[in-house]
Amino acid sequence: MAVEALKLIREGEEEGRKLMDAEKESAARIIKDAEEEVKRLKEKAREDEKSLAVQISDTYAKEGAEKEKKIVENAEAEAEKRKANAESNLENTVNVLLEKILGLV
Amino acid sequence: MIRLGAKEIVEKIKDEANAECEKIMSGARETGKKKVEESRAEIELQKRRFIEAEERKGVEEKERIVRAARLNARKLKWDVEEEMIAKALEEAMNRIKEVKTDGFKGNSYSDIMAGLIKDAAISIIAGSSAGGDELEVIISEEDASFVNKKMLKKISDEINQDRGVNVRLSLSGERIKSAGGVIVRGKGVEIEVNNTFEQRMARLSTSLREDIVKTLFMTRSV
Repeated sequence: MAVEALKLIREGEEEGRKLMDAEKESAARIIKDAEEEVKRLKEKAREDEKSLAVQISDTYAKEGAEKEKKIVENAEAEAEKRKANAESNLENTVNVLLEKILGLV
Repeated sequence: MIRLGAKEIVEKIKDEANAECEKIMSGARETGKKKVEESRAEIELQKRRFIEAEERKGVEEKERIVRAARLNARKLKWDVEEEMIAKALEEAMNRIKEVKTDGFKGNSYSDIMAGLIKDAAISIIAGSSAGGDELEVIISEEDASFVNKKMLKKISDEINQDRGVNVRLSLSGERIKSAGGVIVRGKGVEIEVNNTFEQRMARLSTSLREDIVKTLFMTRSV
């Protein structure tokens, strides 16, 4: 009877150990899954950074190109205006030059 | 009695094992959750810093593009100015031919040549210690018809009267290649004044350029 009791207790202890071992394995899997999740999140973050970089760069490049276009357009218009003004003053200017070159002033 | 005691012990063992299991699982879940949450927070912080850095890069690139555009705009303006300045100078030289036939502002080309000869002769006299000077006048073949002995005599008489000197001007047989104007040289003395149009343009280039810029780009009020 005592032997039976001991046998029961040992079996009970064995069962307890098996249960704990199984739970420890499950716990390890939970932590491993969490680590996998962290890895996945970091990988996604890296991918997101790549596309964010392109998006941000494209936005500023577009803004820069738009500003550049306006500056060039204004400069070209201004240059045309300046040239037209100079053409209208060309005769006068040539007369002023000739006066000096010919020694009349 | 002993069997009842053993069952209780086994139950207690099982209860303790279950409690420990629950503790292990709860701990694992807690640890796992904390790992993921910390990772998310770190990723979020990194993302904010990354965006800030990329925004700074973007702004710098945009500013670089704008600076380059402004530089190109200034260059365009300068190019137009240089183009028109060159055109004015070229036009002036092209008009010389007309000046030779039609004169300029009421002055015949002969008068203009006389003025240049007189101006050059006076410069030579001013630099010379001697009171009498034999000066020769050198012109281009094309201008030969615009200068004669009578004209040179008149010029030298004017200079001699004004300056109290004794200058004699003569026309050299030597000819120069020039758009117009004269070279006046001391005979036997190494002194000359080059009053050809090309040399005058070169000598006066700074003030000519100032005149051009002033008159060419003057905005007329409507």
